[in-house]
Amino acid sequence: MGALVWILHNFWSLLVALVLVLVGLRIAWRLHKYGATRAELTYILRRSPFYLVVLTFCFFAAAPFLIMFMHTFKTDGDLYRRPQPFIFRQDPTLEHLDALFNNTAYLDFIRNSVVVGLAVVVITLALSLPAAYALARLTGRWGERAGILMFLVYLVPPTLLFIPMFRIVVLLGLKDDPMSLIVVYPSFTVPFSMWLLSGFFKAVPPELEEAALVDGYNRVEAFLRVVLPLSLPGIISTIVFTFTLTLHEFIYGLVFIADTSQRTLSVGVPTELILGDVYFWQPLLAAALIIAIPVGLAYNLFLDSLVQGFTMGAVKG
Amino acid sequence: MSIVQISGLKKYFDAVRAVDGVDLAIDQGEFLVILGPSGCGKTTLMRMIAGLEKPTAGQIEIGGEDVTELPPRKRGVSMVFQSYALYPHMNVFNNIAFPLRAQRRELKFDKRQIREKVVNTARLLEIDMLLDRRPRQLSGGQRQRVAIARAMVTQPAVLLLDEPLSNLDAKLRANARDELRDFQRSSNITAVFVTHDQIEAMGLGDRIVVMSEGKIQQIGSPQRIYDDPANEFVATFLGSPSMNILSADRFRFGFRPEHFLPKTLHDNPENSRIFHYYVKRVEYLGSDRLVYGYVRGHDKDLTLAKVPSNVRVSLDIEGDYEFAVHYRDIKFFDLESGRRIEQQNLAKVR
Repeated sequence: MGALVWILHNFWSLLVALVLVLVGLRIAWRLHKYGATRAELTYILRRSPFYLVVLTFCFFAAAPFLIMFMHTFKTDGDLYRRPQPFIFRQDPTLEHLDALFNNTAYLDFIRNSVVVGLAVVVITLALSLPAAYALARLTGRWGERAGILMFLVYLVPPTLLFIPMFRIVVLLGLKDDPMSLIVVYPSFTVPFSMWLLSGFFKAVPPELEEAALVDGYNRVEAFLRVVLPLSLPGIISTIVFTFTLTLHEFIYGLVFIADTSQRTLSVGVPTELILGDVYFWQPLLAAALIIAIPVGLAYNLFLDSLVQGFTMGAVKG
Repeated sequence: MSIVQISGLKKYFDAVRAVDGVDLAIDQGEFLVILGPSGCGKTTLMRMIAGLEKPTAGQIEIGGEDVTELPPRKRGVSMVFQSYALYPHMNVFNNIAFPLRAQRRELKFDKRQIREKVVNTARLLEIDMLLDRRPRQLSGGQRQRVAIARAMVTQPAVLLLDEPLSNLDAKLRANARDELRDFQRSSNITAVFVTHDQIEAMGLGDRIVVMSEGKIQQIGSPQRIYDDPANEFVATFLGSPSMNILSADRFRFGFRPEHFLPKTLHDNPENSRIFHYYVKRVEYLGSDRLVYGYVRGHDKDLTLAKVPSNVRVSLDIEGDYEFAVHYRDIKFFDLESGRRIEQQNLAKVR
């Protein structure tokens, strides 16, 4: 606790120190590797404005996370005191984290979100893999039209659909059950995944499949053994994207489930921690930060395949 | 004995008649080349033999069995694609083993047998040191060998090759042609080779099938097709530069540039037809001189002569010369159908 207090009190100076140390280490490593010659020094000097710009952008990208992290530990008095909300004048506190985990159903929200997310990913893949494959190989007029038509479904906003969908959920007896979300979410994840995946499948030359057909496999085996392994980056980005879609979906989650402990993160956190016009900022930000970190890491891990996935869909259609 | 028997085969894509009534018998162990300009239906024909394209009409028999309705995997054929279509996510060993693993259910190959077969085939094609590599780490020539090895490893009844040499550079191509031919002879496999390259076709084929507009124009040995073309299309499609075609009143006639020589070079000019030839331009090609000019009375038809460089005949630009063609080298064609007319039947046409 003592260390955390010290870190938070000196948050910005520590951050600047950390950046300076990292930059210094980087320069020292270069000088060690190439020798502290005049040419090397000029090179570093010439490159430094570029890195300055990069660091600035990094700061803007990281700022929301830094502020979320800081505010998690602030007392109410400190948070609302002007003019500088970004430094600690009172000692940091863990009471808000404690409140988040013990006084709200935060762990239930996480569990519900993960269960719903994973189930939707599985359903989405099961439906969109064969559909996307068919779409990618049916290159005639009707195939293209069908693809566009199905993508249009994705563009119908949930705000138009949630009332009729609610009737269906009630009819199915799934009200107040995360199952209702598992049933409804594929309505927007499937069209999008299909569009994303068909771009990847189109990038696999049909000749490879034909080779597999001649080599003694049937169509399904050719798909599983040749097309699928080659579109793995696309499938990974589809998984990440689908999961994120379900994670931040709000309106269905709000309407279909009234029971707090059955709610997902995106609905549970704001409904529990915003009462009328009272915002419990510290636990709100903590709740957001805790879930943002693993998602951010996953995105970074699969960044290349994600970018490839989106541009492929965009350029090759 | 024919191993593949094709009768009345047609394939229409909407209004396009890609293959328009093909009858063809392919003999066991022969090297058959299907030659034609792009869009003549030769690849479609091959894809129908492989089972990748469903015929609009007609029948295909392989090894005495009607396979028209069978999927590719049940036909006992294998294929080398123009782009080789190697599986990029597998190394060379797994690429070659891929068709063996598909057959395992019926033929029960165990791991050791697969290894043995792959290594043997790879050794035959001299790629046994590349088995651990991925396709993208291979050169064009090596990829081609892997593709052939993959096609050969199951010992198919028929090997189909779709322009497998067109992605190689010119030097490699001559080499690969030679090796392919040797390999086919020694393994005694039936090969069907599709190409638009007449040099490849002439060099490789036991028989050549010349196709145009979805129809077979002529089937025969390379020499037969070159010396005795069935129609004007075959006559002009083969040979570089192509056959000179001149129009007469009731028919057209043609002769190859290499048969069109100065009169003095002919042994007995009385067996030859003499033409007055106006030389417009001469290209020196090293071993030959390519002469562009006009035959008197046929001012609209550019006529070429290919005169060997080592004969001492001076050919000046804008000069008039007497050239001659041996009678047996002149081919006559019907004005409308383009079909060959035998010389003795010319009288009837006249």
